[in-house]
Amino acid sequence: MNLLFFLKEALIGLKRTKISALITIVSICLSLNLIGIFILLGLNLKDIFFRFYKEIEVEIFLEPKISEDQISKLIAEFQNYSEVKNVRFVSRNEALKEFQDIFGTDISGVLTENPLPASFRLTLKSSFSKPETVEKLTSKITGLPGIQEIIYQKEIINFIHKYFNISLIIIGVFAVILIVIMTILVFNTIRLTIYARRDIIQIMKLVGATNFFIKGPFIFEGLLQGLIGGILSILLVWSITVIVKNIFLSNLFVSAYLYTFVIGLGIFFGLIGSYLSVNKYLKYQ
Amino acid sequence: MIEFFNVFSYSQDRLLLKKISLKIHKGEFVYLIGKTGAGKTTLLRHIYMDLFPTQGNVMVDQYSSSNVKLRQIPYLRRKVGVVFQDFKLLPDRNVYENIAFALRAIGIRRKELKSKVLSILTHVGLNHKRYHMPDLLSGGEKQRVAIARALVNEPFILLADEPTGNLDPEASKSTIELLERINQGGTAVCIATHNYNLIKFAPHRTLVLENGEIIYDLASGQLNKIVNI
Repeated sequence: MNLLFFLKEALIGLKRTKISALITIVSICLSLNLIGIFILLGLNLKDIFFRFYKEIEVEIFLEPKISEDQISKLIAEFQNYSEVKNVRFVSRNEALKEFQDIFGTDISGVLTENPLPASFRLTLKSSFSKPETVEKLTSKITGLPGIQEIIYQKEIINFIHKYFNISLIIIGVFAVILIVIMTILVFNTIRLTIYARRDIIQIMKLVGATNFFIKGPFIFEGLLQGLIGGILSILLVWSITVIVKNIFLSNLFVSAYLYTFVIGLGIFFGLIGSYLSVNKYLKYQ
Repeated sequence: MIEFFNVFSYSQDRLLLKKISLKIHKGEFVYLIGKTGAGKTTLLRHIYMDLFPTQGNVMVDQYSSSNVKLRQIPYLRRKVGVVFQDFKLLPDRNVYENIAFALRAIGIRRKELKSKVLSILTHVGLNHKRYHMPDLLSGGEKQRVAIARALVNEPFILLADEPTGNLDPEASKSTIELLERINQGGTAVCIATHNYNLIKFAPHRTLVLENGEIIYDLASGQLNKIVNI
């Protein structure tokens, strides 16, 4: 009964203050849309970096005179490392074949012997792809017998790691700023709506409605505005992702959680905005 | 039922009420008369505890202004009906909805609600206009709707602040007659007005206020002893 009353009054309220309700919904929608885009950016950035991190490879070149026994020991050693996802041994002949595949020239006719060393290619687990972890691993390997040289994309890992963090911080800061702006915006527009309907609050107070009953319709109204704003925002974000996927980035990463989060955030802001506004209004009455 | 014990009320430095001691009994009909700014509305606001005394105490039913909790005030207001000069009707709802709103706002069930609204509309003679919007009503009818809304919770007292202020003499008389009928049903009525003719038309106990102080407490029909009406 109470919920029905709140819902009915909230709908009447929205109808009564169409313009300010529309302003609130549009504000929520646009703010959520921006937040959604920022989250989408963050998620895709993370996705790109994770894809890169999944493929981080450390190449360990072996001394030419390394024995079979030493190679077996090294394989066992590398397989034991918690940082390593996959160990691949590339023999000298395989290395030569790869070289010929890549460059398309047969060097065996020019050179009397195969100059390429045998090597190990270690693929690292993505959780162990931080620059300092890779550095630690390589220094551990350097001391092992039979190792000639270790090569990995140190500069690129450092660069990506550094800018990934900076990008995430920038996106996070913008998202927080947007959330703050959105809260203030929603709070103020709902406050104007409440002020425009002070007559109904006054009547409710006079007939002996409790604060819970007075706040109820306004909180429901905020919830509805947040929900509508959230749904519109999802449609907008979805349209943007479809356009971006079809025109620019076919492998754009979109999580279903993003939509849930955006709609949840809309409802949350609608609720908080209306609760704070009506509370403030009643407090100073 | 309602008692003021040596009440003083200030707003910042301005004196609103001074040394008010009075008693309104069950089922009584009382006028508060005085010029604009004499303290009539302020006194009424102390009764429905929209204002609190700076000094002294107001007792309304079992509620005391000195120790009433904020969460108790809505329950006090269900026992005190209030009517204003400007009616305070919701313009986008019809007569029935305006009254039903007062019941819904305190959580009355739908079944009970309909019979209560229809009964009070019959009582104020507006049942036939229950689906009319306020815009289509005359001033007197609007005031009847406001009275019906104030009465629908069956309060023990009805406070009316200048209820005839916006009405023509005919509608004023008819409103006062309605309030007298309500009073005969057992509900106390307290009317704040500056209209002496109203009191002449329907004489009852009259409290004369001046500068926030009750200067006369006159029994029914004694007003002509102090003013030349």
